[in-house]
Amino acid sequence: MATIAPDLTPSTKSNSNNSSDVLKLGRPFRYIVLTLVGLFFIVPIVSSARFSFLGNHNSFTISAYTQLFGTAQFWSTLFLSVKVGIGTVFLTLVLLIPTVVWVHVRLPKMRRIFEAISLLPLVVPSVVVTLGVITSFRGLPNIIYGTPVILSLEYVVLALPFSYRALDSSVQAIDLKTLVEAGQSLGAGWIKLLRYVLLPNIRGGIIGASILTFAFCLGEFAVASLLSFTTFPVFLVQVGQLAASQAVALSLIALLFTWIPLAVITLVFSQRRASRSIAVADE
Amino acid sequence: MTKYDDELLDSDVRPTGNREEAQIPVGRSSRGRRRGLRNALGAIPFIAYIGVFLALPAISVITTAFQDGNGKFTLSNFNEAVHGVYFKSFVASIELSFVAALVAVVVGLLAALAVSSTTNRVVRSLVTAGSGVFANTGGVPLAFSFIATVGNFGIITKLLKSAGIDIYAHGFSLYSVTGLAIVYQYFLIPLMVLIMLPPIQAIRKEWVDASQSLGASRSQFWRWIGIPLLLPPIFAAFIVLFTDSFAAYATAQALTSGTIPLVPIQLGALISGNVLAGQTNLGDALGAGMILVVVLAGVIYATIQRRTSRWLR
Repeated sequence: MATIAPDLTPSTKSNSNNSSDVLKLGRPFRYIVLTLVGLFFIVPIVSSARFSFLGNHNSFTISAYTQLFGTAQFWSTLFLSVKVGIGTVFLTLVLLIPTVVWVHVRLPKMRRIFEAISLLPLVVPSVVVTLGVITSFRGLPNIIYGTPVILSLEYVVLALPFSYRALDSSVQAIDLKTLVEAGQSLGAGWIKLLRYVLLPNIRGGIIGASILTFAFCLGEFAVASLLSFTTFPVFLVQVGQLAASQAVALSLIALLFTWIPLAVITLVFSQRRASRSIAVADE
Repeated sequence: MTKYDDELLDSDVRPTGNREEAQIPVGRSSRGRRRGLRNALGAIPFIAYIGVFLALPAISVITTAFQDGNGKFTLSNFNEAVHGVYFKSFVASIELSFVAALVAVVVGLLAALAVSSTTNRVVRSLVTAGSGVFANTGGVPLAFSFIATVGNFGIITKLLKSAGIDIYAHGFSLYSVTGLAIVYQYFLIPLMVLIMLPPIQAIRKEWVDASQSLGASRSQFWRWIGIPLLLPPIFAAFIVLFTDSFAAYATAQALTSGTIPLVPIQLGALISGNVLAGQTNLGDALGAGMILVVVLAGVIYATIQRRTSRWLR
């Protein structure tokens, strides 16, 4: 390892400093592409903001927002979505943390297979899942099928491609086997191991999975609307049929509220990955 | 949960087995059948959950698709699904997803290349974070923000009109398949960037240097090294993007109020109760058809993915 280190360290550094050398694409190309693509993403946000403050005869008004906040349904649907989101996050963590840890400790060969299973929800479009839910769960007691509980139960599955990956990669990043063995040799049981050793070590993954799942729940429309639950996005569509500026204002709020936490976790994760790869190279 | 904890605690009684396992090199461990079974038990809650809340609904859709209103076997649902308006909606959905994915692949690839070649740290993390965020954007809010931008009375529409360009008079409409293809770019391009950044960054400086010292020009590098390396992940990304737009429901529904003939929208209308007599299980046939399209795409993806991982060791 020591002999490789001198070679590796400078190459990683140069990779981040003058990586433009690697692809040799040139400055104009970079500027033009990034500016155009950037505009495509910024213009709708700016337009939405402008649109939502647009009064009669191009005047500035915040009435779209004040009217929204004064609507009881705004708060009740938001509350419903938050409740469903919290329930889903809870279920997700209870189901996935033990599973991911178990797979890494006891079934390491099956890791890829479980990752593939976690991607299965991508194969069945959520509209189709909803249809299946209606046909197969109609007979269930009303407390499950007739209440938003069914939403949480299904969202756990539908958000799986995001949540499983976040947890799996954070468990992958720690030396699970050594930690487990060290804990066991000190006499800790599995519960203690989870509580004091594993959970603190995969905190990042847990937070990431929770935010991704929660954001998914706040935005999910297909299942909720087809099962006739008026969650926040369903309310948003109803508003859109009556008052365009209110719907746009509401969309802007919804987008910002999901973007901020997502941006934070993306930044934190990418930075940690970068620092880890440098740390590995420095060893 | 309790059942699972029992299992965890139970295995704790035999820590020696665990240590023994640690000493056997990974990939060659030979365990007893009973141990294997015990190990598999810990995964049961997860598998059972997927079975009940994903597999069961999916299977019920597929089996119901082959039944008539009285539960007897029939193919008439599929017969209906591949004719007339439903067949057209399949064609429209596949066309939309194909074009949307193609555009996103090209633009996203260019963006990913531009980002990977930038020296600016801020731009880099901005684009990475932005991609992570926008790739998860979709659904209803996205539809409304585009309505505010290039809808009938959108800000840009009005701006262009005051500049003498009436885009709606020139055949553009946001509330069409073309409009949807544009709106979908908002989450497809970032997804493409996210998928392509790792393979692009895996291109090593040494390869470029080596090709150069052997006298290769920049275009020769791309022709013989760069493009062949990136082609498999590009194909795989295309499939992912295709599937993503094929299954999208919320944006299309919110944008067009369910008037556009796409499969998810038709299926949604059937679920919401707009069912004509004699079409009881037609929705299930549409659903089965959607699963079939996605599975076919997935098979292609898996095939390409296998080749990709061989390339990028």
